[in-house]
Amino acid sequence: MNVSEFANKAGYTVFSEGEERAIESGYCGDFLSNIISRAPDRCAWLTVMNNVNVAAVATLIDCACIVLCEGVAPDDAFAARAKQLGLWVLGAKENVFEEAKTVAKLCNV
Amino acid sequence: MSECIRLEYEVDGQNFASAGHASESVKRMLKQMGVPAQHVRRVAIAMYEGEINMVIHAHGGTAVAEIYPDRIDITLADHGPGIADIPLAMQAGYSTATENIRSLGFGAGMGLPNMKKYSDDMKIESQLGVGTTVKLRVDFGE
Repeated sequence: MNVSEFANKAGYTVFSEGEERAIESGYCGDFLSNIISRAPDRCAWLTVMNNVNVAAVATLIDCACIVLCEGVAPDDAFAARAKQLGLWVLGAKENVFEEAKTVAKLCNV
Repeated sequence: MSECIRLEYEVDGQNFASAGHASESVKRMLKQMGVPAQHVRRVAIAMYEGEINMVIHAHGGTAVAEIYPDRIDITLADHGPGIADIPLAMQAGYSTATENIRSLGFGAGMGLPNMKKYSDDMKIESQLGVGTTVKLRVDFGE
């Protein structure tokens, strides 16, 4: 499922948009060194981490989208970098576990 | 060896927001050159970890990437405090990062181990009070 369709079906907030692409897996985590070494390409990355380095790491791992959980919204620096880099940044209300279930169900991953 | 593309970057030690610019730039260049994706990712990870280390521990430094048809050589040099015990610093999970750094998502003690894991060769030269130079080579072969 493409990111825009996923965001719409999940009812997520869209903080920034990027290249349309399919979500092929998911990864949950906040420690950035773990993320960059372990998250698979084209994943939905679920996190509660909110700082500009999230955008840099998302670019390096080529994730399909970032899902900020538990009502987290990107700060100004993060939002600006995400827009500059063309990253999908979505916002979700529930915790990472619950939102991972949403990704798994809707994207069949 | 045939022609080399040399890229040089200043890594701003005061600015977490700019950390990653060098590795993003090199990643874009390698993708444009048609380097296989798995090698591009290895380079990006190893170089990003190096950049972050320079920001966290060494007040910045320089990153130089020399791209050859079959490999990339990366030199990360800083004038920070140096590494007192390199074998200890290489252990996964060991970190001297502060709580403030950890709150940003770093300091898991995976920086140097990731750089070694994702490169084909890694050399560290460090002198206390003088600085640290890390040299990485990533091959583009099978």
